[in-house]
Amino acid sequence: MNVFDYSAYALFKWSDMRMILNATLLTIRVTLLSLAIGTALGLILGLIRCAKNRGLASLPLIIMEPLRNSPLIVQLFLVYYGLPSVGIRFDAYTAAILTLSLNTAAFFAVLVQSSIQSIPRAQWEAGYALGHNKVSVYIRVIAMQAFRLLIPQAITLYISQLQCSSLVSLVSLMDLTKAGQIVAQKTLLPFLVFGIVAAIYYIVSFPLARLSEYLERRTGFNY
Amino acid sequence: MSGYTMNFRVLEKYTDMFLGGVSITLKVCVGSLVIGFFLGAILAIMKQSKSKLARGIAIVWVDVLRNTPFLVQLFFFYYGLPQLGIYVDPLVVGIVALGINSSAPNCEVIRSGLMAVKTGYYETSTALGYSKFQTFLYVVMPIALRLSFKPLTSNFVNLVLTSSVTYGITLMEIMGVAKTVSARSNRPFEIYLILLVSYCAFTYFVSFVAKAIDRRIHINL
Repeated sequence: MNVFDYSAYALFKWSDMRMILNATLLTIRVTLLSLAIGTALGLILGLIRCAKNRGLASLPLIIMEPLRNSPLIVQLFLVYYGLPSVGIRFDAYTAAILTLSLNTAAFFAVLVQSSIQSIPRAQWEAGYALGHNKVSVYIRVIAMQAFRLLIPQAITLYISQLQCSSLVSLVSLMDLTKAGQIVAQKTLLPFLVFGIVAAIYYIVSFPLARLSEYLERRTGFNY
Repeated sequence: MSGYTMNFRVLEKYTDMFLGGVSITLKVCVGSLVIGFFLGAILAIMKQSKSKLARGIAIVWVDVLRNTPFLVQLFFFYYGLPQLGIYVDPLVVGIVALGINSSAPNCEVIRSGLMAVKTGYYETSTALGYSKFQTFLYVVMPIALRLSFKPLTSNFVNLVLTSSVTYGITLMEIMGVAKTVSARSNRPFEIYLILLVSYCAFTYFVSFVAKAIDRRIHINL
């Protein structure tokens, strides 16, 4: 069929669009849930990474390194197809959330660690000099400044995790990408359908990308 | 956990298939590395140019690629091209799509390399009688590329990891082979574990080599 044959576009019905929009909700739900879990877990891992004790600090690497250095699909397939033979069975949704959360956590931990460690020593010393104890310095001096550095990078990570969530379509979850694939095969209008799908992803992540850039410019400071 | 013993021996007879998968993965990675690098360099130059049109195109290009998933881009080309009457091998689609996808981060990296070259270098080469083009080619670009070498290699590592997504368009690269073998041998756990470890090993190897090279070519401005 010809791309310029406009009558063919009538094949794309409102019901197809509704299917795509419903799938968008699943994508958003999977992304938000895994980001929430991943952020919480990543924060813990990142704080452990900053521990003074070398042994303790390198403990999270056992889980972080494999997660950061292998493709997300392999991790997803290991959890979804591999673990059942060891006797641990998840449905596709749980497997997707679990894998995406762990993956997010690994990357988030690195961000937490690097933003805490980029606060100069003088800030700690100043905190102690003002009579704060360790916990108090951590919360009132270090965390506040580290947080400012962390936000723009975290948003960038969240955007890339939104894109990564498209991979859950490969474990037969009905997410935005999967819906696009089905509708494209039904209507034979791949350019239109994947264009719409790409546009939806774009609409969600583009404002966030700009926000991240803006915050990065605003929160950058010199000591 | 109980009752399951890992058995890697059964996978030995699939060695040839795995090697075939590795060779396709390597083809995809090398091909898209080349495309992504040159496209990224061109985009970086466009972003630096005075022409509003060139800047606009580069900005939109990078924004679109960064804010849409690679899998969707891949499907867009894979299912879309036949509609235009262009029938190409999935391998070619995979290489081109991945190359285009990796041009976006490469562009950012090379551009920040270009911006780090101080104005003194431009002035010096003008004083030495270099034309604008010569200055760019012989002075600015070599420095910028040296500066951006390390982030470029980490983009390359990302590209290798992303290359596994091309399995989505029926490409029999290492991930596709793993999927097939795991169905045949009924040993998915072992297979994906091996895959995970080998990807990690490869990533470490690349970063190790990259660090060694970077130590030699790094310059402080």
